[in-house]
Amino acid sequence: MKDKNAGIWIGNRDLNQDEAYIHQADEQSRIRPDETGGLQSNRRDFLRIMGFSVGTAALAASCKTPVRRALPYLTKPDSLVPGIANYYASSYVDGGDYCGILVKTREGRPIKIEGNSLCPLTGGGTSARVQALVLSLYDTHRIQGPMVRGENNWESSSWENLDERVALRMPATSRVRILSNTILSPTTKKAISDFKVKFPNTEVVSYDPISSAAILMANEASFGRKIIPSYHFDQARTIVSINADFLGTWISPIEFSRQYAKGRKISEVSGAKMSRHFQVESYMSLSGSNADHRIQIRPSEQGAAIAFLYNAIAVKTGAASVVSPPLAEKAASALSKVADQLIADKGASLVVAGSNNRDEQILVNKINEILGNTGTTIDLNTPSYQRQGNETDLVKLVADMDGGQVDAVIVIDHANPAYDYPAADAFATAFAKVNTRISMSGTLNETANLCNFIAPNHHLLESWGDAEPKQGLLSLIQPAISPLFNTRQAELSLLKWATSDHIDWKSDAPYYEYLKSNWVQNYLNGSSWDKALHDGVFKYQAPDLASAAPVVIDLAALKISQPTNAEQEITLFETVNMGAGQHANNPWLQEMPDPVTRCVWGNYLAVPVMFDGVNKFKGAFDLENGDFVNLSVGNTTIETASIQQFGQLSGTLALALGYGRTVTGAAGKHIGTNAFAFCQQADGLTQYYNTVGSSPVKSRKEENLACVQYHHTMGVQDIDRKTGQKINADEAATVFFTYFGLAKQGFQGSLVERSVIRRANLSELESFVSELQAERAEFQHLNEQTLYPDYSDLYERGHQWHMHIDLNACTGCGACAVACMAENNVPVVGKREVSRHHEMTWLRVDRYYYGDVANPNVVFQPLMCQHCHNAPCENVCPVNATNHNSEGINQMVYNRCVGTRYCANNCPYKVRRFNWLDYMKADLWPINEPALVEGEDSPFMTDNLTRMVLNPDVTVRARGVIEKCSFCTQRIQEGKLNAKKAGRMLEDGDVKTACQTACPTGAITFGDINHTASSVHQLANNPLNFQVLEEVNTRPAVTYKSRIINRDESIEA
Amino acid sequence: MSVVVSPFREPLVRGGKTYHQITEDLCAATERAPSLAWVLAFIAAGSALAFGLFCIVWTIWVGIGSWNLNRTIGWGWDITNFVWWIGIGHAGTLISAILLLFRQKWRTGVNRAAEAMTIFAVICAALFPGIHVGRIWVVYFFFPYPNTRGPLWPNFNSPLLWDLFAISTYFSVSLLFWYTGLVPDFATVRDRAKGFRKKLYNFLSFGWTGSAKHWQRWEALSLVLAGISTPLVLSVHTIVSFDFATSVIPGWHTTIFPPYFVAGAIFSGFAMVQTLMLMTRKVLKLEDYITVNHIESMNKVILLTGTIVGVAYLTELFIAWYSGYVYEQFAFFNRALGPYWWSYFGMMACNVISPQLFWIKKFRRSIYWTFLMSIFVNIGMWFERFVIIATTLARDYLPSSWSLYSPTWVEIGIFIGTLGIFFTCYLIFVRLAPVVAIAEVKHILKAAGDQYVDKNNAYAREAALHPPVQHETAGHH
Repeated sequence: MKDKNAGIWIGNRDLNQDEAYIHQADEQSRIRPDETGGLQSNRRDFLRIMGFSVGTAALAASCKTPVRRALPYLTKPDSLVPGIANYYASSYVDGGDYCGILVKTREGRPIKIEGNSLCPLTGGGTSARVQALVLSLYDTHRIQGPMVRGENNWESSSWENLDERVALRMPATSRVRILSNTILSPTTKKAISDFKVKFPNTEVVSYDPISSAAILMANEASFGRKIIPSYHFDQARTIVSINADFLGTWISPIEFSRQYAKGRKISEVSGAKMSRHFQVESYMSLSGSNADHRIQIRPSEQGAAIAFLYNAIAVKTGAASVVSPPLAEKAASALSKVADQLIADKGASLVVAGSNNRDEQILVNKINEILGNTGTTIDLNTPSYQRQGNETDLVKLVADMDGGQVDAVIVIDHANPAYDYPAADAFATAFAKVNTRISMSGTLNETANLCNFIAPNHHLLESWGDAEPKQGLLSLIQPAISPLFNTRQAELSLLKWATSDHIDWKSDAPYYEYLKSNWVQNYLNGSSWDKALHDGVFKYQAPDLASAAPVVIDLAALKISQPTNAEQEITLFETVNMGAGQHANNPWLQEMPDPVTRCVWGNYLAVPVMFDGVNKFKGAFDLENGDFVNLSVGNTTIETASIQQFGQLSGTLALALGYGRTVTGAAGKHIGTNAFAFCQQADGLTQYYNTVGSSPVKSRKEENLACVQYHHTMGVQDIDRKTGQKINADEAATVFFTYFGLAKQGFQGSLVERSVIRRANLSELESFVSELQAERAEFQHLNEQTLYPDYSDLYERGHQWHMHIDLNACTGCGACAVACMAENNVPVVGKREVSRHHEMTWLRVDRYYYGDVANPNVVFQPLMCQHCHNAPCENVCPVNATNHNSEGINQMVYNRCVGTRYCANNCPYKVRRFNWLDYMKADLWPINEPALVEGEDSPFMTDNLTRMVLNPDVTVRARGVIEKCSFCTQRIQEGKLNAKKAGRMLEDGDVKTACQTACPTGAITFGDINHTASSVHQLANNPLNFQVLEEVNTRPAVTYKSRIINRDESIEA
Repeated sequence: MSVVVSPFREPLVRGGKTYHQITEDLCAATERAPSLAWVLAFIAAGSALAFGLFCIVWTIWVGIGSWNLNRTIGWGWDITNFVWWIGIGHAGTLISAILLLFRQKWRTGVNRAAEAMTIFAVICAALFPGIHVGRIWVVYFFFPYPNTRGPLWPNFNSPLLWDLFAISTYFSVSLLFWYTGLVPDFATVRDRAKGFRKKLYNFLSFGWTGSAKHWQRWEALSLVLAGISTPLVLSVHTIVSFDFATSVIPGWHTTIFPPYFVAGAIFSGFAMVQTLMLMTRKVLKLEDYITVNHIESMNKVILLTGTIVGVAYLTELFIAWYSGYVYEQFAFFNRALGPYWWSYFGMMACNVISPQLFWIKKFRRSIYWTFLMSIFVNIGMWFERFVIIATTLARDYLPSSWSLYSPTWVEIGIFIGTLGIFFTCYLIFVRLAPVVAIAEVKHILKAAGDQYVDKNNAYAREAALHPPVQHETAGHH
């Protein structure tokens, strides 16, 4: 019995083999074909079945159900936990620009760049360009594999094919030129020297499109060292910058901003000290906008200004004078007072110049030497390698190429002389005569387009590498993602073509081994490679340089540039976002407002603006904002849009470089105009100014003038023509209709009496503080007179998130704004939408001019959601889509938002942003996705590659809802979870917002104000603090610290 | 004429009408074929409506980005039009309810059309809050209904929610009031009709027989509804004004808004009544029912409310100056002299200065001046709302965010569309229902017995000229 059942039975009856049960079970389970009727079917059944089959087959074939594969790891890598970010220390290197970074990756995708706080240069600060790096990784315009020039177009190739063809065309005797911008990497240099083993006739031609070659040459002449010294802006009490935008673009702006802010921050009111900054320039640069005094000179007077300053100092210190070219009287009188201050601050002052004239830089060296700054604020013994290029080499290369002296040119990194060389056409013509032209650019650019081969390099975030921004400071580059495309490390290509045996080709990661062995041999000296890789930066003991001995120079023989008599001169400058044009295809940078002009998507000719004495600001040549002009310089005429620029010296114009790219991705192509052709050359060195042949001629109107701020001032003063009084000209200019002369001077006080910006001069600090305190006390008293119950006790419990922004530390560089876009998936909307004021930025940096209308001061104010405790937005929302949480954060519930925009109307700070159209393709309708660029059929961030940059912790918003700054609520949550996991209380610094970490100067502090040990709690008690629109009783959770400048009112500039 | 003529007052209905003539005159428009003018007007209004619908669909399909609103100016033509239409929708109820309670008998000549106008204007107005939102498909979040989200209720602190209740209440009560008045008149039309029309009006008149009980209940209901409506006249625009008054935006945050908005609403409502009635009386030849006296009375209301509005404007200016509050001061400075000065100028000229003409009797009683002035006031009140909404938002607290705004074709199209809706409805209304309340006009005919003093002679003459008429049910009681 038991055997029969084989151990499986159902119930007693089965176990006992009950006959009736067995029969029943058999009956139930038996297949009875006769009872089913067999497979009898008739014609109708046949047709029915066939109809159904054909129908379903057709449906199945035609309706393509999208398959989205989400594949789990078979074996999960140890380091990767879904939902948890990994950070890899690396370096941002772009020509000579350097920044130590951490790359944040999520599920293997780099999504954000953070500053590396271990980097002694940048201390964790970043710039807008650094923040935007991650987006360029996902550029759809990247070259996806090796390419060979066909008859008319580029043809995809394979690396084997490319290597073979290069080998055929490049015999060992070839005269090879490696064309690059500044090379910071010692290992790249080693690779080049290994390349030279096979190709001994190789020369490296390094140039920088925005050149500092004159400094290198001047230091060679002055000290016998062809280097850029280390500058210490933090140790200078008086800073004089002549055309050097050291906070924006000059050499190492992140480092300098950090140093500069140290000398500008004020913690104590009594005995407050800060540096005094003079900027000598014609256009309003970012540094100039931060300066206490701007001394306006024409660009061609640069040499005269340097010589004048030198003489003024020399006369008083008993040094030899030089012949000084004539200088405008106003500037001269100001500079002689500057000289007095420099002498007073001997050894603690700093004079820098952006001049690209060797002899002028020698004179600057001489000034610093007389002042005793060499050795204090200028450190020649720690050379900076951040600018090594010399365009005289490029001039020679063009001549050599033209003369058939070059067999092959290999263009590495972003070098793009076909675009950024002033004589780009001459370059192109000469370049065409070279037999083998190889580009290693990762994206197609003007120069790559002229080559025979493109051997695309990895993106920085896919590469191994290193950088030595300063002697003794090494910084590693490590990949944060496997190469997305079939690209190859540039150094590997060089070594491959050189068939070098200094590299282990059999290794899985040959260049990694090559890099590591270079470090082990030359730098690590027994230190841990892993630690260096972990930290990202490594300091090694560089051989001591003999102390720099000044070389005796015949000052009389110096060739100082002479001022011109031209009616109009033009300055050509680099912007904070675009660089020399290499960032043109980065939509984040295109949409980042220029800190000074506040324009996006294009460069605008800055024209001086004057007050007509009644109620209008008038641009020179009657140009209105957005008027196109035809501008002729030399033989070149370009058409460019113009903008009225406060602080632009009368008789001068300015135009940004880096725009008007012709060969790049869709986002950057034909945005603005290329002004490199306007640069002139003197002794082979590029001069970034020129004389304008004839006055600009108005041609047409810009349809989409994309400027995010259209009112620019808060109290610029000028003389009323009728009364002769000094009035706030901008307040007069708010009048559009005078009612037949009744209201001419406008409403005086209507702008300056707003409690938006608080500013004062250092000399009047104490009285300012008492006034501020009195006014705030009055506001607070009024705010207490309320019918509503007081909920203050609720804000004294638990976490209360608070932000403190130091307006004195803020230089307006805009790194925070780009970091915010990256962190919070803020859509890029394109030029047309911005021109309609549809920009979506959660954080903006407002810029106001004040003071003298012709030469105003500037204040920057980062503004984001103020997370008001009495939020006007919250009580007007009919559906409770925006509300307050128990930690003081004003929350936005996208799913609940109906989109009445009442909250945006009622926001006094105007920080709420409405999704007017479907900027992120998060909607069903395709019609409302605006093209980023005219002619493109899809908006930005709608392709799968670009979408990889999205932060998975932040919702992508669909159209029709409001969004705004969330105080990086995802970071708060992450900080809390980390503390919880570690079983401890949340500590100060556990939560840092994206804008805070991006800031190079530490202007933004965030934290729990109820946590008494937190830095934000301490900063919140500073007497210089104010809240924007405090009298409106919104009770913001953002506190600002007043803007203090250190102006000497006796100086008129 | 055998009509009693008061030595003090002119009769409210001229022309010595008999009950019968009144019925004939007022039903005529519903009974004859439409005139060419009506057809042309209907085509024009219908086309505007169709274009408006297209623009609305466009807005919903493309998004609010098809409008030119921006990060600073979140409301523009949409809410301007909303408030404008709501204002226009105020005259009807005022005339029917408040004037009924105050026993202003002249109202009977115009109340029907004014109430109809109210209904149509409120329909136009109610459109805007619906379509101006970013996500119309979740607009039901507004309604307080038990739900599975918590339940999550709307924010009862939000004036937008109050708006929803105020307008829906107003609409329902106005509709009821209007329809109640229509019932006896529909019965009159029914009694004269044949075939399908008879069936239609039979249905519309709810089986009205004209019994004394019907009349009694009808009068009671009218009074009750008048009682309910009266506070609504004041409350609706008060609440609409809260949309602005409860905000923190200088120029919006004003305690004067409720009375000022109500006065403005009555002002604009009467202007629109004038515009419509002057056309209607001409086209439908109702000069005997809508007399110059009516027009003058309404002009007096326009003068009064216009002056109240003017005082409010000046008070705002004074308070802005007196407050010593720079934002408030600048807001008003900017309204008058800023980039949108022309809208403020237009508002002042149309709303405050031009109605002062009505102090002079000659202008008050002039058809042409009245018509011109009514158009002025309509324009002026539109400007007022534009000034309050767009101009104020354009330049508020932070100068960095100041902006400018001009509408796109879509926004203009929607406005034209609402004009289309309004006039289409009105044109259908004049064909479907008596534009003057037949029953109510008969109430005020002073000639009750006198008509029959000379009746034999008169009847004989009438009988010779006209075939016998049917017995009238509705007119006698």
